[in-house]
Amino acid sequence: MLEIRGHARGGQGMVTAFEILAKVFSHLGDYYVQSFPAFGVERTGAPIQAFIRVAKKEIQNRSNVYNPHLIVVFDETLFDQVPVFDGLRENGTLLVNTEKDISDHVPEGVNVYKVPATKISLELGLGSKSLPIVNAAMMGAIMKLLDADIEIAKEIIKANVPSKPEANAQSAEIAYNNVLGLDGNEKFLLENLNKLDDDIEKEFKPEDLEYDEKILDGFDFPVWSDPLDVNKTGNWRVLTPEYVTKEPPCTNNCPAGTDVRGFVKLAAEGKFEEAFDLIYEHNPFPSVCGRVCPHFCEQNCNRNDFGGALNIGSIERFVGDQVIGKKIDKAKIKYDEKIAVVGSGPAGLTAALRLVEKGYDVTVFEALPQAGGMMRTGIPKFRLPDDVLDDEIDKIIKKGVKLVLNKKVSVKELEKDFDAVVSAVGSHIGYNMKVSNSELVEEGIDFLRSFKLNGQNAGIKKGDEIAIIGGGNTAIDVARTVLRLGAVPTIYYRRTENEMPAIHIEVEEALAEGVKIKFLTNLTDIQKGADGRLQLEMIKYKLGEADDSGRKTPIPIEGSEYMLEADKVFAAIGQTYDNYVFSGETIRAKQGKTPFEAKIPVFSAGDMAWGGTVTEAIGSGNKVAEEVNAYLRHQPYSHDEHVSEVILPSDLNEVYYLPTPRIDNEIYHAKDFYNDFTEVMKPLTSEQIVNEGHRCLSCGECFTCGNCFNFCPDAAISYDENGRLRINYDYCKGCGICVEECPSSAIDFKLIVKN
Amino acid sequence: MVTKEKESIKKKVYPRHTEKIMKGNYAAAEAAKLCRTGFIPAYPITPQTTIVEQLSDMTARGEMDAGYINMDSEHSVFAAAMGAALGGERVFTATAGQGLFYAHEVLHAIAHFRLPMVVCNVGRPSIPWNIWSDQSDSLSQRDTGWVQLYGESSQEVLDTIIMSYILAEKLDIPVMVVLDAFYQSHTSENVWIPDQDLVDEFLPAKKRKGNEIDGESPKSYGGLVPPEHYGKFNYSFWKAINKVEDLVTEIGQEFEDKFGRSYGPVETVNIGPETKMVFVTVSSITSTVRGVIKKYPEIGLIKLRLVKPFPKKSFLKAIEPLNDDVKLIVTERNFMGDNEGALMQELKRALYGERNLKMYDFYVGLGGKDIPPVTIEKVIHRARTNPKDVNWIGF
Repeated sequence: MLEIRGHARGGQGMVTAFEILAKVFSHLGDYYVQSFPAFGVERTGAPIQAFIRVAKKEIQNRSNVYNPHLIVVFDETLFDQVPVFDGLRENGTLLVNTEKDISDHVPEGVNVYKVPATKISLELGLGSKSLPIVNAAMMGAIMKLLDADIEIAKEIIKANVPSKPEANAQSAEIAYNNVLGLDGNEKFLLENLNKLDDDIEKEFKPEDLEYDEKILDGFDFPVWSDPLDVNKTGNWRVLTPEYVTKEPPCTNNCPAGTDVRGFVKLAAEGKFEEAFDLIYEHNPFPSVCGRVCPHFCEQNCNRNDFGGALNIGSIERFVGDQVIGKKIDKAKIKYDEKIAVVGSGPAGLTAALRLVEKGYDVTVFEALPQAGGMMRTGIPKFRLPDDVLDDEIDKIIKKGVKLVLNKKVSVKELEKDFDAVVSAVGSHIGYNMKVSNSELVEEGIDFLRSFKLNGQNAGIKKGDEIAIIGGGNTAIDVARTVLRLGAVPTIYYRRTENEMPAIHIEVEEALAEGVKIKFLTNLTDIQKGADGRLQLEMIKYKLGEADDSGRKTPIPIEGSEYMLEADKVFAAIGQTYDNYVFSGETIRAKQGKTPFEAKIPVFSAGDMAWGGTVTEAIGSGNKVAEEVNAYLRHQPYSHDEHVSEVILPSDLNEVYYLPTPRIDNEIYHAKDFYNDFTEVMKPLTSEQIVNEGHRCLSCGECFTCGNCFNFCPDAAISYDENGRLRINYDYCKGCGICVEECPSSAIDFKLIVKN
Repeated sequence: MVTKEKESIKKKVYPRHTEKIMKGNYAAAEAAKLCRTGFIPAYPITPQTTIVEQLSDMTARGEMDAGYINMDSEHSVFAAAMGAALGGERVFTATAGQGLFYAHEVLHAIAHFRLPMVVCNVGRPSIPWNIWSDQSDSLSQRDTGWVQLYGESSQEVLDTIIMSYILAEKLDIPVMVVLDAFYQSHTSENVWIPDQDLVDEFLPAKKRKGNEIDGESPKSYGGLVPPEHYGKFNYSFWKAINKVEDLVTEIGQEFEDKFGRSYGPVETVNIGPETKMVFVTVSSITSTVRGVIKKYPEIGLIKLRLVKPFPKKSFLKAIEPLNDDVKLIVTERNFMGDNEGALMQELKRALYGERNLKMYDFYVGLGGKDIPPVTIEKVIHRARTNPKDVNWIGF
């Protein structure tokens, strides 16, 4: 009797090959045959075994093959994973699919035959590089070792393979002719094949029996919290789960780069000061941004269709407000270079703070008597109270930023005393309306500034009818401010509500307060009437095709003109920057190093160079500080855009989240807003903040919910001493249930590439 | 060189058969086809699945003229089998382990509705969860009224299914033919497949007896039977079940005449006055025991084919030549939650008041634990030296 044991990976076709081999033997020589796999759970790529017995008389053994005459290895990488030579008989033989020198793996005294079955099979298109189907080639090689008729074997292979009969038969023949190591010792196999007496495989030893009887105890309950150590399922694994941290949409969306998921988590744990510190790494204005940012972080929140986006703005605001008056240690100056920052808005102050933190001597020049830029001059108190802004600026000053007020400067004026300039003058000059008598139109942005800095109300009286042209935040802020001066504001916007650049919630609040908005309407002409009132000629618009920015182009409707009267008209149709900083030259200022001829390098940031919101200005300030530092330290600077994979709703397993509704802020509403500049949006309470924080889905990050721990069928997942989840790869069979059941997409499933 | 041998030992050749290399599960499916079964309700479960898969293939390809229905569970499979059998169809299906446990209630109903059918069970245990070879599933169904036959090889499984239809339809009692998981179900080996006309000559088409569902002659099935009559139905069943052993012998002889292979309720190897020790086995372990005891002229073997009802008469006849000091070694690939395994329980019942041999029970191979020759050697050694009444070997 000849006994063969094969070692392969699931999917290589070994079990089928051994079945076919049994048929070949039966056909070639009237043999009794037995062919069977080691019965188990056979996964693609996992190590498997199969056996053949061939004998000249009935086979009286129905157990696995423990003492083979021939070991057939389909995949050389199995040498490291499986004890393939166990029980090989004296003078035993190895046939292995390899082109390498495998002598290190082979015990002494084993006859080794090699066949390049992978190469042969791939050349014939059998299987793929990661899983070549080498079974027919291996059959051909076995036929060679047993000196069998390959032509008959080819016919049986053709009739029995599930697909590609010709290629399989051909691979068998090529392998038959390419077995390396033939030296005449193959006779050992032939002799055993035709030998009539059985030899009992393993000698019985009484001590083995005693051992058997000793190891029975200790298996009371088929229940385990640790892996069942007798079943090391890790070697079945093809795909490997791994804990990962991926980018959530909130963090990805934040122009300042704030770790939103991180600070929300800390806030949910009531760790407000830690949350503040985390925000501060990217954003020194949490109290401001919590109030006035359009909350880019909320826009793609995966909670959107699941109870509403997380109220991240309010969490940020709360965290910022918690640390008002926080003690700040002054940073140490460690570099000689002095840096000037022109403009004390969010971009300028952020850049100054970051540079001070890095060890530079930084001076901020502000043309106005108060610092804060647009936060100070463009945002009304009912949206952003002064004390909130004062405190956040104060923290920056405490850190060591020098602030010079009432000083309008140009780069040229700074060349002498500084080594670099950051220009962050913002956009404070309103565009003019292109109408005749445009001098009768006042600039909304100027009005907001004068009113905030000096309380100048532009002569507005109670009951005045005021027209505001535009659709951005300035238009809304002007309307709501004049409403509080007793006037009756109407906004005219040439597109529709969908195209309005203003923050949506602000529009809603304005409407609720009594501001009227007329869409698809614009001003075409303005005259001063005999009574001193303004006569406005308006025209109706319709929407045309979308332009490059995706917004639909407004087209005036001919003959739709109509007249109306107003006491005052404000334009709020956009702003540009004051080019005094460039000595009157109109430079197209872009983020970072700016092509302006000067003795010192000039960098631009903020509104004048980049986006139009406070948070974008902060992000711009962070970036420019990095660039300035890199420039001065002669280091390379690369602008790192977010390119990482962002978690989408489809990545989450929503089954594990409750559709808890968003906790919204209460809105302050007065019967009469006359002279009432109370902050409109009320804060959430500490308890609400914690609750809202708990609504966070923790997209892309493990929050130790323990689902994987609960579901792992092999108990291969456990908590480590720090309470974090860990996978024991000796037992993880790669089933993927943990990946499937992870709510937050924090487990990846990767193919392990073998060798 | 591998060539056609001119050796003295030639494989036996059976006329009107074709030799194939086949797995036990495929042999079972092949038998169902050869028996011209007309209805197969199916539900997959490892290690039985390839039986119903193969039958599905054969019916889809038109090789078999049978109704084939995928059911929603094993309980439904057996309920459908019951319905079809009530309608007079020749029914076949297969299941394993939990599937058989789940069908338990219907097993009783099928037997006591007196419905002939043949079902294959590929044995596996329940909990601790395990898919490997074990006979606890079928042996725990001993009291359902089904006849149970166990096969040693793919050939025997195929042959037993054919014989079982004769038995079932003669007595109106269902028959369970049991295979070992993997060691039979998934092992390819030499099987002689009889020609269809040979099987047709042996097993005629199923005859209607008049108690089947018939639109022309409506009857009531499953009505309430009051105490005055209930026991009489059991009496009838008792008479029928007591005919099983003789009928198995008789059908086995007829089968041998026709097909050339011999089967009885039990098979004996090396039983005589010199025998000192006798293994009692069922199923695939028998082959390995055969191989090992060739070294031991004083050790014999009795293989049980018919396990339920227990073939008392055949067994007593088998041990007739044995002296009273002979040790009976009973191998159990089952655990019945009792001190002794199912075979020892049956054997003691059969031998009570008849013979007083020394009997030792050996649990081996539970949950698919391999039983290589060395395990049999260990059993022999333990049986010779300080055996306990019940022994656990090779785990």
